[in-house]
Amino acid sequence: MTPHEAAGDRDLVRLLTRLFLRRLVDHDVISPHADRHESLAVLYALTVSLAVFVTFFLSVTYLSAFIQLPGPAALSALSDRFLFIAASITTSALGALMVWDALSLEPRDAAILGPLPISTRTISVAKLAAAVIFGAVLTIALNAVPSVLYPAFLTLNIGGTRGADLLQLIAVHATTVTMAGLFGFFAILAVRGAVRLLVGEGGFRRVSSGLQSLLVVSMVTALLLAPTVRAADVRGWIGVPVEARWPARPVLWFLGVNETLAGHLVAETPIVPPPRFLFVDIPTNEDRAARVAYRALLPRLATLERHAVLSMPLVIGLALATFLWTNRRLPERSAGVPAASRMRAIARRIAERCTEHDPETQAGFFFALQTLTRSAAHRTLLAIAVAVGLTHALMILAQSGRHVFEVHSPPASMFAIGIMSLLSLLIGVGYAVRVPAAPAANWMIRMTWCGDERRYTAGVKRAAIVLVTVILVLLLPLHLALFGTRIAVLHSLFGLVLAAAALDLLFLFTRTLPFACTYVPIENPKIVWPAGFVGLLLVTYGFARAERWGMETPGKTIACGVALAAIALGVNAIDRLRRQERRPINFEGRPALATQRLGLFEHVTTHD
Amino acid sequence: MQSGLDARHLTKYYAAIPAIRDFSLTLRPGQVLGLLGPNGSGKSTTVSLLTGLREPSTGQILFDGRNIADYPAEYKARVGYVPEETHLYTFLSGREQLDLIGRLRRLPGDLRTRKIMALLDLFGLTGAADQPISGYSKGMRQKILIISALLHDPDLLILDEPESGLDLAASLVLRHLIPILAARGKMILYSSHVLDYVERLCAEVIVLHRGRIVAQGPVTQLRAMMQRESSLEEIIAQLVTTVDPAGAAREIADVVGQHA
Repeated sequence: MTPHEAAGDRDLVRLLTRLFLRRLVDHDVISPHADRHESLAVLYALTVSLAVFVTFFLSVTYLSAFIQLPGPAALSALSDRFLFIAASITTSALGALMVWDALSLEPRDAAILGPLPISTRTISVAKLAAAVIFGAVLTIALNAVPSVLYPAFLTLNIGGTRGADLLQLIAVHATTVTMAGLFGFFAILAVRGAVRLLVGEGGFRRVSSGLQSLLVVSMVTALLLAPTVRAADVRGWIGVPVEARWPARPVLWFLGVNETLAGHLVAETPIVPPPRFLFVDIPTNEDRAARVAYRALLPRLATLERHAVLSMPLVIGLALATFLWTNRRLPERSAGVPAASRMRAIARRIAERCTEHDPETQAGFFFALQTLTRSAAHRTLLAIAVAVGLTHALMILAQSGRHVFEVHSPPASMFAIGIMSLLSLLIGVGYAVRVPAAPAANWMIRMTWCGDERRYTAGVKRAAIVLVTVILVLLLPLHLALFGTRIAVLHSLFGLVLAAAALDLLFLFTRTLPFACTYVPIENPKIVWPAGFVGLLLVTYGFARAERWGMETPGKTIACGVALAAIALGVNAIDRLRRQERRPINFEGRPALATQRLGLFEHVTTHD
Repeated sequence: MQSGLDARHLTKYYAAIPAIRDFSLTLRPGQVLGLLGPNGSGKSTTVSLLTGLREPSTGQILFDGRNIADYPAEYKARVGYVPEETHLYTFLSGREQLDLIGRLRRLPGDLRTRKIMALLDLFGLTGAADQPISGYSKGMRQKILIISALLHDPDLLILDEPESGLDLAASLVLRHLIPILAARGKMILYSSHVLDYVERLCAEVIVLHRGRIVAQGPVTQLRAMMQRESSLEEIIAQLVTTVDPAGAAREIADVVGQHA
């Protein structure tokens, strides 16, 4: 290749990288019809404000102390940094999972770029470059603000901290969390590439969606569990003999990097009290003990750092090698997933029998199941919902390990495991139905729409009940182990009735057609989401306590069952009553413009 | 009450820009009406109004003498529509897609299954029926759209470029199918760029240009209007083409031939 050709090739890679990046953002991260600038601004503002909130929350003790002693600060910063690193790894990994299908050459790339005189290598290098830039920008954007704020807050009341030390702390924190984020991103790329290499292209097509969902569940669960890790746990994991569980290990490796590079800057800072506290008795013994404890951890932290230094190139190398190998040829037009299996066909026939006389209910039922399990966006929403339930279950079970409970009187929190799993799944379904299955194909439903949403919606609810049943079946072994057969069966039955009532309640005010109307975002999520979360906890634990009471005697069980059935029937009756009044469906609802939401237009009009 | 479709003085604005102005048509059972016009002439807007997917800014559409805005669901139940773009639920298989449409059209189970299997077979899609549509070619997707439009035996068929992407065999089948459906009393609106098809299939045509009807009537009448024995292609070229096609072609070839 001549230098001229090489320069041309570089230009081509740059051009294609820009194209892939733009498509990644425009089509895979945000809706192709959305306002790109507004969507990105909202997404970034949400991420940064959450990061800033967490930083402030973690720093309250450092900010509120009149004199912050370096030793205890160095020790308590370990668990804070554990959280920052864990968040960076999991969020970057989730970013990679969000654009899962775009992490390799796709049939659309082959269709557009295949006929052009560009080598496949150039296209795959550009695609890889776009993915890496996306991952790097995501990681930096996520960590930029906390990287400055956290070290500043940590050392604000440590009198002996010099400006240069603070700058070094910021630089090291930023480097560590960025490295961790890139590790998370490349780990997903490596897993994807390795699985594709192992099972081949056809096999990967079959397992891809399941693998993506599994990884989303794992990452969301890890992200939600990270704040529950206590400072003592982190110190125990760093110091031998308490061996950390494997999901926590990569986080500890990067913690080792941070502490090895900059830990001494906090731990070895001299105590310099502010002038007005010169005569105050400073607890130097406590500080000295903390410094000794911190120094004792340094050899182990150095070992952990070496793990990070080794693992980083290993993961990146594996990701790059598998990517380049599996994308050395342009993909052929996808033949998709093969024909439905025999089991699926039998299940379909059973479901058809159950709803034989009602084609619209069948339409709602099958379309809901197909969309929820096959559409990437809907599957991700369900995976997040399942992860919330799983996180809650893991937290409860971890706590119960510390306090052994009586077999015959399990605490209410044990009943809450199943209830939280079901309710978070239903909230996920309730949200997913508002997202169109394929916005461009909505015309099809509109053309075939007969004007009555009741039977179609009933089918969608039945599909949700099928998912609820799957969760209950999966939880049954745990319930059997926790409660014994009688209570486990009753708990499952109560869960089913509660799910039916919750479903009717979720759909009570919904007058759009599931999966077939344009997506209109929730107004004021800052209030709705936290309030919803508190409501979810209240309902879960309220019902868990009621159920625990109901399991005490057969009489109470009957009373509890009757009350629950009455609630379910009542909600169902209200839903039927509300839907008697026919209202036209707005298939093309749109959110108000930013100027209208912020009242700017109104403001201008008033003053004019 | 006159049976059939009557569009009266339709105008549609997008923001303040008129896409079509004062558009009227009449379509009676057994009639095949061609809708012609260059890109941007307002054909797709007209089709979206006639399907009921959009509402006109002014004017009204009557079906069997009743305004379709007053009973949209009943109207759509009698319409079959093949859109220009092949937007489908790509995560469904062809059979699942047709099942969904059939169910939403309230077709009874046995009849639906029988019709879907027969139509998939007749359009040569049986082998791919259970594969996801994401793996279908343009022609296969187009066949699914055509089957979707025919599944419920509609009274009015609105076809927007239905031959697009079809292979020769399917294209010939479609060319024979339309007169048969018309003979059975269906109303058919056929919008296309392939003038050869329109000339063969449609007794009457409407020519749109910049949102207005510039010619309407049987092809023979248009020929008389142009006062010569022209093909439909030549007539349309005279009505809506503002450039000299031969000259433009020469200029394109010249630009293509530039190397420095």
